[in-house]
Amino acid sequence: MDQYMILKDYVSSADAETALFYVIAILAISLSVGVISDRNIIRSGFILIGVFGAISGLFLMLQAQFLALAQVMIYAVGITLVVVIALMLTNPRSEREAVITEGDEFSQETGAVQFIQRLQQGTPAFVAVFSFFTIYLAIRSESWTPVTEKVSTDNVKVLGEALTTVYSLPFEFASVLLLAALIGAIMLAKAEKRQPAIESAED
Amino acid sequence: MIPNAPEIGKLLFIICFWICAIFLPVWLVSWAVGVLLPMLLEQGSPSMAMTATAETLRALTPIISVMVFIPINAMFMVLYERRALALFTVRLGPNRVGPDGLLQTAADAVKLLFKEDITPRGADAFMFTLAPIIFFAPSIFGALPLLAAITNNHSLYQITNLPTGIFYILAAASLPVVALVMAGWSSNNKYSLVGGLRAAAQAISYEIPLVLSLVTVCLMAGSLDVVKIAQQQDGGILNWNIAGGGALRGLDKAIQTKLGVETTPLITPQQSSDPTETPVAAPTTFEEVIHQYYPFEFLSYISAGVLIFCSFILLGLYLTGACAEINRIPFDLPEAESELVSGYNTEYSGIKFAIFFLAEFTNLFIVSSIATVMFLGGGDNPIPQWLLNKMPLEPIQKSLGAILSPFINGLHLIDPDTFWAAFWVIFKVYTFVFIAILIRGTLPRFRIDQLMDFGWKRLVPLSLIAFLVVVFARVLVVCHG
Amino acid sequence: MGSNLIGRAFESFKRIGEGLRTVLMHSFREPITKTYPDTVSQIAPHFRGRLALSVNPDTGEHLCISCRQCERVCPDKCIEITAHKSPETNKLELIDFKIDHGLCMFCGLCTEVCPTTCIINTNDFEMADYTRESLVYDLRRLTLTQEESAFYFEAKDMPKPKPKPPKPAPGAAPAAGAAPAGAKAAPVGAKAAPAEGAKPAAAAADAAKPAESAKPAAAPAEAAKPAAAPLEATKPAEDAKPAEAAAKPQDSSTEPAKTVGDTTAKPEEKPTASPEVKEAEKEKAPEQGADADKKEG
Repeated sequence: MDQYMILKDYVSSADAETALFYVIAILAISLSVGVISDRNIIRSGFILIGVFGAISGLFLMLQAQFLALAQVMIYAVGITLVVVIALMLTNPRSEREAVITEGDEFSQETGAVQFIQRLQQGTPAFVAVFSFFTIYLAIRSESWTPVTEKVSTDNVKVLGEALTTVYSLPFEFASVLLLAALIGAIMLAKAEKRQPAIESAED
Repeated sequence: MIPNAPEIGKLLFIICFWICAIFLPVWLVSWAVGVLLPMLLEQGSPSMAMTATAETLRALTPIISVMVFIPINAMFMVLYERRALALFTVRLGPNRVGPDGLLQTAADAVKLLFKEDITPRGADAFMFTLAPIIFFAPSIFGALPLLAAITNNHSLYQITNLPTGIFYILAAASLPVVALVMAGWSSNNKYSLVGGLRAAAQAISYEIPLVLSLVTVCLMAGSLDVVKIAQQQDGGILNWNIAGGGALRGLDKAIQTKLGVETTPLITPQQSSDPTETPVAAPTTFEEVIHQYYPFEFLSYISAGVLIFCSFILLGLYLTGACAEINRIPFDLPEAESELVSGYNTEYSGIKFAIFFLAEFTNLFIVSSIATVMFLGGGDNPIPQWLLNKMPLEPIQKSLGAILSPFINGLHLIDPDTFWAAFWVIFKVYTFVFIAILIRGTLPRFRIDQLMDFGWKRLVPLSLIAFLVVVFARVLVVCHG
Repeated sequence: MGSNLIGRAFESFKRIGEGLRTVLMHSFREPITKTYPDTVSQIAPHFRGRLALSVNPDTGEHLCISCRQCERVCPDKCIEITAHKSPETNKLELIDFKIDHGLCMFCGLCTEVCPTTCIINTNDFEMADYTRESLVYDLRRLTLTQEESAFYFEAKDMPKPKPKPPKPAPGAAPAAGAAPAGAKAAPVGAKAAPAEGAKPAAAAADAAKPAESAKPAAAPAEAAKPAAAPLEATKPAEDAKPAEAAAKPQDSSTEPAKTVGDTTAKPEEKPTASPEVKEAEKEKAPEQGADADKKEG
């Protein structure tokens, strides 16, 4: 019986949680490496769904059930799926041709232009390294104070209260942003008016 | 006399037989795994391993019972659908395998399992195999929180109860779409691809009214917890969410007070979940109770009516969205047989196809049980408490109790609360399934542009309006939560 | 616009409700489908099933006269007739009749052209077999029994065929003696008999009762008339009014009956015309047979 209690304690202890965290984190990282390394762009889209799933697992470990489920529902399924569909509707062949022609031009260019182009190609890598270090330093900085108090199981209530009291201004800003995006999307998707000249003539 | 009485009788017989064939094994397995085996293991002075095993078994009971339930249930639902459709289309339906076609789907299932599993050339084999798994898995773990709700929070299933229950179910229900797109894309078939794309577009569009309608119900109930929502609706049809989300609860109470059947043995929401009532002295007359629940007199009555109307609209929205979500007719564009030769599962055969098939019908069941829990009071008896107390049920109950007491007390084989809850849930859920079949027999398929129009221009605004109206009307009436 | 939208919404709900109710009410109707192998539903008599060759329901004689019209009209060329000219009677004799039901498309053209209503579509549709070869039916498999023929003649409302003349001619003299008597009593029958080119048939077939001079001739006369008007058919025969009897079948008869009526009504033409036709056929027959052989080869 004692052994059993020990086992039970271990399962609910911090060590086990840490181990689980590493498992999920490794899964998430390897999947995200898969996203950028997979040749097939649609496949990498599907792997992205896996990444979001793993991240929602991390949320679950933080006792943020609501966030985890929202992550699955909105990011993993909703948004990524739309991205995947958009990828499916594009023509992969034209992409490949574009790459080939670019390479041909590249070889014919002079030294200075070549250098600039190399610089252009290097920019994303630079940005990636820079932002990684920024975020890393931010996370490792001393000003974070880990909270030891237990998270409320009633996630939704806490979230709702936070959104309508302390964080109401950012929340409203976010909703304005979404509204703007919505209107922009409608404007883009709206059918163009057919030749106003004819219309006026009819009038 | 009905000329078709024999056929209807056969259908009823099939339903009775199969429901027994579904629920007896599930019940026995969950009892064996959850009660009997742990009881035997923990007899005397158990060792650590014994106790651990017992605990594990108890924890695994929900999953095991769902795993036993899903295949048998899918077999029944396919047969049920085929026979009922045959009735609607003035046919006979499958009637060869077993008496009256009783074992048709069992034979079909065996056939599918033995068929060759083909992966088409040029297909992405990994994704092709992964798709049915992703399609099927959510229907297992999505069903878990419902178990607690529909068994009246039975002690074996309590662990499946989540504070964010309905949201969890919805998140699980949104996952299969990924599998459909995956299946469509990895099949290396244009029909499948179009089917998968349609599935994604449709599911994303119809998820909004679906979720909004359920959110509105949660708003009326004041909780996301399915068990809580189910328990709030106890005590007859007037307490169900379909009747305005508790807007008629005051009426129910008032009649109860007037008839003087206050001393009910069961727990009613009166004692358990109404904070406004407890400090005040219990009202004694009809008018007082009415006044307590409808404080703004006329305005309250109107808003109660509005709430009832809205909850019917919400049920309609939910059923429409759910139909689209699980790709049933009239929203079966992703697998339109006549246009897309079965869409995303064109290339699937053998056990992978069987899994698709299984998951589809399980999803129908889950969607129906969500509707039951959220709108029709879960495992609640439709007869109001005050009417039930007037009925001469006492002797029946006592004699039944006397017969069953050895099972209840000794072996924990039957839990009377759970039993009746399960009975009503089964009844309601299969009624919803019947409605789905009826709709399948009636309505033709949508065209894709009609589908999008209907979803975005009709259902989404309607669900938003219903949401707003409920938010305001709910303030004027004392509702659930 | 808004009220219109709401009105339309309610309208569509009503429609859907009506639809659902209609479909639900269907479940109280008796199923129209049959469990086929257990209960075979009544097939219409003119159903175009397997082809078969009928015999005379009264005498059991094979009705085919090897005219090869069916063979010629068949769009699928699935009929193959083997016949030879009998040296004794100088007439075509059927040796074999083959129909490939694997080729046949059941258009029924052969049954339309058949002058003796020999080839008919039966109600049989269960012809599934294990090989294609077994779908080629020969004369033995095609020929119906007397009872079956009787059934189809009645079901399809076809006029009963006249008995064929006997093959040898020795009994021609007494038959010829009976003929005038028959012609006197019932000229229709008498005239019909010559039309076939062998008048003695009537007498020979009904040799058992030669006393009643009218009877032998009356029997074919009845047969010649459409079964749909039995009263009319019997009456003129008894009354022995030649003009009426000859006219009636033409007036109130269906297509096959008309052809028989023609033969009865125009005796002068037939005897002259038919030998010519047969001559022509005789010439054609070997050619066709050769063609068929070539094709098969």
